[in-house]
Amino acid sequence: MKGESFSERSARERARVLLDQGTFRELLDPFERLESPHLAPQGIVPQSDDGVVVARGRIRAKEAVVVSVEGGFQGGSIGEVGGAKIAGALEMALRDSARGRPIISVLVLDTAGIRLQEANLGILVLSEIHAAILELREYVPVVGVIAGKIGCFGGMGIAAALCGALIGTEIGRLGLNGPEVIEQEAGVAEFDATDRQLIWKTMGCRRRKEIGQIDLQVQDSDTALAETIAEYCEKPKLEPAGARAPRTRQIESQLKKINDYPILRRIPERLTPSARTSVNSHGLLWFEALTENSTTTPEAKSVLAADVQWGGETVRAIVVVPNAVARFPRARDGQVGIEEGWEIARLVREAMTADEGREKRALLAIVDVPGQAFGINEEILGLHLSLAAAVDAYATARRAGHPTVALIVGKAISGAFLAHGLQCGQILALNDESIEVHVMSEASVARVTRRSPEEINSLASLVRATARDIRSFASLGAVDQLVNCDDSYSIDAHCVASVRSKILKAISELRLFPREPKMRLDSPASQESRKMSRVVRKALEAEWS
Amino acid sequence: LETLNFSFPAGSQHVLRRVQVGIVASGNLEVLLEPTANAYSQVRIRTSVSGYAETWKALLQVFFERHDVAACIEINDSGASPPVVLLRLEQALEESL
Repeated sequence: MKGESFSERSARERARVLLDQGTFRELLDPFERLESPHLAPQGIVPQSDDGVVVARGRIRAKEAVVVSVEGGFQGGSIGEVGGAKIAGALEMALRDSARGRPIISVLVLDTAGIRLQEANLGILVLSEIHAAILELREYVPVVGVIAGKIGCFGGMGIAAALCGALIGTEIGRLGLNGPEVIEQEAGVAEFDATDRQLIWKTMGCRRRKEIGQIDLQVQDSDTALAETIAEYCEKPKLEPAGARAPRTRQIESQLKKINDYPILRRIPERLTPSARTSVNSHGLLWFEALTENSTTTPEAKSVLAADVQWGGETVRAIVVVPNAVARFPRARDGQVGIEEGWEIARLVREAMTADEGREKRALLAIVDVPGQAFGINEEILGLHLSLAAAVDAYATARRAGHPTVALIVGKAISGAFLAHGLQCGQILALNDESIEVHVMSEASVARVTRRSPEEINSLASLVRATARDIRSFASLGAVDQLVNCDDSYSIDAHCVASVRSKILKAISELRLFPREPKMRLDSPASQESRKMSRVVRKALEAEWS
Repeated sequence: LETLNFSFPAGSQHVLRRVQVGIVASGNLEVLLEPTANAYSQVRIRTSVSGYAETWKALLQVFFERHDVAACIEINDSGASPPVVLLRLEQALEESL
């Protein structure tokens, strides 16, 4: 089986060759000019399809949709329009599939992740994409294909891990943090972004296949990929994906693997690890205040959980905190690392199991996460998968009837926020200057977008989605309630009581009206600020059948 | 980012269908070519490289001298060199006839 090189093709051609000959029908084609409205104001030339191709057609005569990301345009980054095309296509496939009209769904992922120039619009649509994949994969094969030169990273790496089956070629790479970003955040000693061999040994699809993080590796050829996908779609109940639990749910075996893993020491150990105090962690401060220290968790843990009784409600609060003696050195300052993602998933699923057949307790994600852990060990083990496990756990709990509430008390950055917070039914946040919501540190944004920090700051006032303050984030319709407290560092009893009552109100609302991430688009605040997200979905629905 | 608009008298050959070619990637460009009923072929260019209006004009003149066509053209350019631009325009034209 030879065929032409798949990786050399454009996103549009890739979609075409995966569908049965003559059945390709593009939705929202370039002439509809649904381009990003956020790029030109930042001096960047947009592309007429925003780098995402959505095509309906057939695979071995069965109805299918292929979503194909163009890696050549802005690194295949996901902004508001492209993201809405992906989410909208998945949501439409889900609608039809749930009504008994299955639509096989294929995602051709050649993407660096969230588009930094559209920052928080990207993070919101990623949470919608994650939710849609998780639901859709219960009905039809959802196949991720990683066969392009960019690979698949960031929030889209998490999306890949959520797919029912993953197919890669030797050219493809899969991970959470790309090489440049790790080098920027952790130093060249941790990861040398110019070392191609290191990159493919760490994140290449061949490596991912060896450790079971993708299902099939095929050669870089049109026919090989098309046939492999078609065959998988004909027998999805057989190997590879159907025979066992989804990989985001293999928690015990993954935690064991991580425990047995010999950590590579790339950077000198800190001489005197600082003790964890509430001074360096808003998350810990709020966790202790809200749970009144109702549990004593060993100092060595970086994910804390406690069940509290508030009125008639049982609430499980979960928080990620700094841990000076964490095994993985890059996850000691409160980051969501390889252990933390799986541990969040374990704690959420433990509550689900305990509540089977009775009132589902509420889940409260206390969010103060400075980001995901940037390190070579994390990428070797598959940090994207660990975060996907947490995404899967929160989303599954939400859909099983657990009211899920996120409370932002500190930083809510990037993949860490996607894993811990964004799948919740409601998001509350302190109305506080110190809170930061973003997709990447300023230094890394500067490096990746080749702009000075000053330029980035001046753009933030122009494009609100790139601003980091909580009020800007709330202006995107992402925050259900802002809670006023004088100073989040010295919280008083009055403030704690007020926050608790707002959480309880959110829980009782969620018991009556369960919510999912895409419903944030119904909020009044999002009507203008996320206008394109709705325009794209509406147009897609009109062209769907 | 610079936006440029040009128009040239419409040629005798009308393009039959709309065509999109290319990607807005470094050194590359996207061309959208459509039929037009106007007396002028209109060209809109958005380019990441400012200050080359005369070069664009000369290049388009070459294109319309070579091809006696009527079309509405949109270009999204990410610093493509003139030969690449001509190549893309001709590729689009070929697919549209």
